[in-house]
Amino acid sequence: MGKVNPAVLEFEAMVKDKESYIKFIEEWVKHSWRWAKEDKYVTVFKIQASILRAIREYLDSQGFIEALPPIIGPVTDPGIRGAKQATIDFYGHEYKVMSSAILYKQYMAAVLGKVYFVSPNIRLEPNDSVFTGRHLVEFFQVDLEILNGTLDDAMKVAEGLFTYVTRYIKDVHGKDLEKMGRSLPDYKPPFLRYTHAEAVELVNKLGCRNPSNTEILWECEKVLSAYHDAPIFIYQYPKGSRGFYNREDPGKPGYLRDFDMLYPEGFGEAISGGEREYEPIKVIARIRESGEDPNKYRWLLEMLKDFYPLKTAGFGIGVERLTRFICGLRAVWEARPYPKVAGIGPAP
Amino acid sequence: MFEWLALKMGELALRLRASLVTLRGIRDFIDDYPIDEILLKAIKGEEGVYPFGELASYGAAMLGAPINRRGYPRFLTIDDLILVPPAFTPKRLEKMAELLREPVFTDVNLEVDVGGLKSSMPLVVASMGSTDIASRYSIAIAKAAAKEGIPFGIGENVHTVRGYDKRLTRGHPSFKERVMAYLTNMDKYGGVFIQQNVEDAYDEHWNKVYSDKDLEPYIDEGRVAFEIKIGQGAKPGLGGVIRMRREDAVKVREKYHFLEDPLKTNKKTVERYSAPGTYTADILRGMIRLMRTSYPRVKIWVKVGPFRDVLDVIRVAYEEGANAVIIDGKEGGTGMAPSVAMKELGYPTIVGLIKIREARLMGIDDRMSLMIAGRLFNGAHIVKSRALGASAVYAGRPFVVAAMVKGEAGVRNFIRATRVETQMIVSALGKYDIRDVSHEDVASLNKDLATALGIPYVYSREF
Repeated sequence: MGKVNPAVLEFEAMVKDKESYIKFIEEWVKHSWRWAKEDKYVTVFKIQASILRAIREYLDSQGFIEALPPIIGPVTDPGIRGAKQATIDFYGHEYKVMSSAILYKQYMAAVLGKVYFVSPNIRLEPNDSVFTGRHLVEFFQVDLEILNGTLDDAMKVAEGLFTYVTRYIKDVHGKDLEKMGRSLPDYKPPFLRYTHAEAVELVNKLGCRNPSNTEILWECEKVLSAYHDAPIFIYQYPKGSRGFYNREDPGKPGYLRDFDMLYPEGFGEAISGGEREYEPIKVIARIRESGEDPNKYRWLLEMLKDFYPLKTAGFGIGVERLTRFICGLRAVWEARPYPKVAGIGPAP
Repeated sequence: MFEWLALKMGELALRLRASLVTLRGIRDFIDDYPIDEILLKAIKGEEGVYPFGELASYGAAMLGAPINRRGYPRFLTIDDLILVPPAFTPKRLEKMAELLREPVFTDVNLEVDVGGLKSSMPLVVASMGSTDIASRYSIAIAKAAAKEGIPFGIGENVHTVRGYDKRLTRGHPSFKERVMAYLTNMDKYGGVFIQQNVEDAYDEHWNKVYSDKDLEPYIDEGRVAFEIKIGQGAKPGLGGVIRMRREDAVKVREKYHFLEDPLKTNKKTVERYSAPGTYTADILRGMIRLMRTSYPRVKIWVKVGPFRDVLDVIRVAYEEGANAVIIDGKEGGTGMAPSVAMKELGYPTIVGLIKIREARLMGIDDRMSLMIAGRLFNGAHIVKSRALGASAVYAGRPFVVAAMVKGEAGVRNFIRATRVETQMIVSALGKYDIRDVSHEDVASLNKDLATALGIPYVYSREF
């Protein structure tokens, strides 16, 4: 049984009084240059640079190739819990700003084999996401994809990457972490793996009620995360709780070949990934689950036909969340300059 | 000479007829729909439950039950069922013990839960969409429904065609105007349910609603539902069609299907088709799960046309924890539908009620509301539907008719009159809570219906 990080507890205490929290966050966001220059945040930004360097070192050493991410396109990742997409006018066509580069990762995996993006994303999150401490409207993720990869391959890369980066930061920034009062243990993979059903059973036992067929709720995810002192995996989510690109397990209909990795100590979700659906008719049926017209995703469907069977697996890891975890910060709005949070603006 | 005259007369008659044909739609509606009954209620309010015109008033009328029906349809309707009050009324005795006096119809409680929303009575304003008529009267209906405490729906395409918060078309309120007209006038009862079709999904309608700060307090309070639409009563299996001005069509040309490219045509108006939307059991299941994940604070409703596999829809919706399923029978209203669809596609409303009865017997309990729609408009319809397992009646046209004749007041009058009518019937059945009404309270004038619904056939000894 692990314990909740004091920074997470502090954040929870802050959001208890919603009104004063909103006041605080408005000031935080609208005058971010005032705190960005403080010693603590100067250190955070330096550690963030090292995190990105470590990620690149590790992935390059594993044979991944960094590619340029897309910024806009006719469609983007729809598999984002209740968040809106940002729209721009592209010469009379409606284009979206990437909410994730997921569809383009498959494209580049077909071209390069093992590939990653350091990718900027926009998600106009619901207003209540202000109270989670884990949602930013503008954020970066390291998004990777493996041609002919499997669920297990992706989880192994996740374990390796996390272990490498934490060790690297401890080596290079040991003193900085100490000054911030953050201590990180030596993580040893493999990490615990729960099926979604097992995870639901466990959180229910821990006193957080989670319906069996839905995504793990934010509150329950925190409980689960706090229960462990090393990262854990949850895999085999029930179909319907995830975006259309997650592949259904042919050996276990109704369940997906996908996973999440959660940070320990109450920090919550770190990584989301899995194998991708590549049968065009299945992709089309899954697109309908979000009520959309597959015509919107025409380029993706044409590509899947051209490159059939385009089997890939991969995941995305949020850079700000990783920074928050490593530095032991209260929320992601401490983990990047000029943070943008739902519903609050204008701000730099 | 005579032949020539006869020919000319014939031609004239045909021409006259031809000019009348162009009025079809309105005329059919007036001829066929029970317009008078609704108009009377809209104008007179509670008094409208009595069949009095200006000339006949209390004590001066001589009326009996009408047996000749205008435009008798080729299929059976809910009017083939009757309500059968008992002489012995133990529930009335119970109520009397509670009140310490003889109960009257105003003591009847009509409050019910409808799809996770609290309603002042088992009546719901159907989600009407972007058509001219639905749009034009939407604000009056919204305000009246809110003030009378019954749930109110907003149909598909409103966002895409009329605009989300800015008006896209002159004289027509935007989505936001409609929804706020309802929400800001609501008291302790009611709630709003909102559709999104394929084309609205393009605009991420539900996402926008879910993160709209003005709607948030109502979402938090649990007063908002999202309604999945699987077909429509009047045209099951077909999508909507609407005529648009060319310049409006140009704005939405990537989202809809047009037979003629609005950029290339020089016609003033073009016909816009929306897709019916493809479903399988898996797609519906996935959709509900996705919605529960993405929008955990709203209720989920599913409206389904008169499809033969409607019980499968109900089962999937129930298993996935949806809050309501509405069956829209073929008599349901529509903005526009091919005549052949209205005549031939799908089954009558009463069959929808048979399906609901079957679903209840199958074990679909009241954790999920089941509603019935399609030419239902009065207190008797409400009570019969409740008696057979429906949670509420879902209606659209009566509110439009009432709004057309007398605006918001007309709609409120109509709702109030229907409320009184419902209370009267329930009390006549010896009951004082609409939730106590059950299948024992109805009987059938038709043998087949009696068998299908498991209720007695009136002209028999079993009754």
